[in-house]
Amino acid sequence: MSTADAGGWQRTSPFAALFYIGKIYQAIAKNAVQSLAPLAAFLVAFQGDMKDKLAFGIGAFVLGTIILAILRYWFFRYRITDTSVLIRDGVFKRTQLDIRFERVQAVNTEQNVVFRLLGLLTVSFDTAGSSRQEGYLPAVRAEGARELRDRIRRVPKHVSGAADSGEGVERRDVTARTLLRLTAGDMVRIGLSSNRVFLLVVLIGPISEYVEQEFSEIVEESAVVEFLTQAQTGLMSGLAFGLLLALGILLLLFSISIAGAFLRFHRYELIADEDVLRSTGGLLTRHEHSVNRGKVQSLHAGQHAVLRLFRRFRLKARQASSGRAGRRSDFIVPICNGDLLADLSLRFFPQEFAGLSLDPRAPGFRNISPYYLRSRIVLAGVAPALLATAVLWNSSGAAALAALLWIPACAGVVWQKYRRYGVLYGQDGLALRSGLIGFRVVAWLHRKVQRVSITQSPFQRRRQLATVRIFLAAGSAIRIPYLEQGKARALRDYVLYRVESSEVAWH
Amino acid sequence: MFENPEISLDELPAADDVEWRSLAARYIRRLQVQSLLTTAVATVGVVVLQVAPLPITQRWLFALAWLLIVASGVSGLLWPLVSVPRKGYAIRDKDILYRSGVLWRTVTAVPFNRLQHVETSSTPLDRHFTLAALQLFTAGGSGGDLKIHGMPADVAESLRLFILEKAGASIEHS
Repeated sequence: MSTADAGGWQRTSPFAALFYIGKIYQAIAKNAVQSLAPLAAFLVAFQGDMKDKLAFGIGAFVLGTIILAILRYWFFRYRITDTSVLIRDGVFKRTQLDIRFERVQAVNTEQNVVFRLLGLLTVSFDTAGSSRQEGYLPAVRAEGARELRDRIRRVPKHVSGAADSGEGVERRDVTARTLLRLTAGDMVRIGLSSNRVFLLVVLIGPISEYVEQEFSEIVEESAVVEFLTQAQTGLMSGLAFGLLLALGILLLLFSISIAGAFLRFHRYELIADEDVLRSTGGLLTRHEHSVNRGKVQSLHAGQHAVLRLFRRFRLKARQASSGRAGRRSDFIVPICNGDLLADLSLRFFPQEFAGLSLDPRAPGFRNISPYYLRSRIVLAGVAPALLATAVLWNSSGAAALAALLWIPACAGVVWQKYRRYGVLYGQDGLALRSGLIGFRVVAWLHRKVQRVSITQSPFQRRRQLATVRIFLAAGSAIRIPYLEQGKARALRDYVLYRVESSEVAWH
Repeated sequence: MFENPEISLDELPAADDVEWRSLAARYIRRLQVQSLLTTAVATVGVVVLQVAPLPITQRWLFALAWLLIVASGVSGLLWPLVSVPRKGYAIRDKDILYRSGVLWRTVTAVPFNRLQHVETSSTPLDRHFTLAALQLFTAGGSGGDLKIHGMPADVAESLRLFILEKAGASIEHS
């Protein structure tokens, strides 16, 4: 391998400061209270009127972040050797990272509007193992990024299995094939099915009272009220107005969500390139993510209520992660139909996916033990309801019996969850279906399992049942509840046999 | 059941047919001492608060604190007598098994060829009782790595070396 360009320590482009400003704001948003507390304290202590305080506060805040971003750029150095990328980072706490090529799972890139104009890229490396081994190179020249990607590519496949993306639009292997291109209709579907919309609705619930109060004060003298009064519309119009308002808010939320889908997935393409799957997309900031199929630990297909309506799925391929709960190491296909879902499953786990399926309606899913119903209804339904009735009996009398209504409500939910649970046994892996209103299916290969455990509660021991937990190198443990004890043990022994006899790497 | 033309499921070695090795008996004493120390610190804290001339009007809080101290002290003395004998481990040729739990009983199996690294650790109290904990790290680790407390220090160390030897090749590769 050539060492000609294995030069010394380099700085990135000064525009990296922009990247750091973004990073700083992200960090502030994550720890809003701690980050802004000193500033707030200073503002409270500062003598003067509010306008001055605010102007000074905002000015100090912006200046502070800019200085910090420039300092971070100044202290950031990187060096590319034959076998690794070395990164020196940190203003106050200096760290040095050694990202070895053979540990890199994927090279992902991000290019915002400014960087696109300047031909710069931010490269990030997904690595397996320690959480400290995650690095990035902000604002490097696209050409350099391409070279780096090629270097990582040159590392023998069986060692690295490294995936790459780069912004190499020019480079396409003969085998590269576009599997999916999202249309405007898909953006609308993604927007409509976004969980965030529902989260916002839930968040708006508690503050709606406050909003309503404020709103009523504002519109008290307004033309709307005048109109309503003049029209002598009374209660019905009030209700209609409320309904319209709610609809308006919902419409606004959906519009925001759809706009978000356009921002994130505009010109989204999913490309299969030998062992690598690559996705590109984004309106302002263009993201390129890639994943090597060998690195995928589990596949998660989701279909909640809205996606069910569209007969679409969302697919998430989890790679061996550093153990942190983050989306960075998840490769996401935001929307796909059943055919593509089946095709992608086979691309990720070729040959070994026989007998498995990510489609929740596929035949072969077996129910868990019906004792699940009894246990859950007693624990989550009957026991709390009886307790609440007993506690409320003295103060509320017979009205306390209303708490017993919790039992049928809980039973309904438990019954639905029980119906959703299903296990699909394949020779090389397993698929577990769960959900409440929608479906979730997770599938994995036995040989990728890291640990397996069996737990039995006193009730389960009496009924010869057990809960199996499968630990993979990505995400939290997968729990298969209420299997027959014999089946659970056989599954555990079989998984151990497959892991211990496997000669194929799990990563 | 599964389809597996290569090997019959009945022929697979069952992880339950093993001879469990129990933890060191003195681990019970070690847990009890730790509980006593914690209780003593809490007792001193509550006594100081009660004696100090503080404007605490809700005296029932002290009753609650004493109740909690007595309850945790008693359970700290008795619980190890029940829980420690239920814990145990078994080393097989290709994996290590660990069982724990009194009401909710768990058996965890960690194949050697999935280990990232193995380490032993001991607190000052552990060292006083010549005990150590053996910790096994697998990839991911979000579910918590397997940690076996209460092993005799020499056993933990020799197990660490044994497991390293068994898993050596795979550790080097990972």
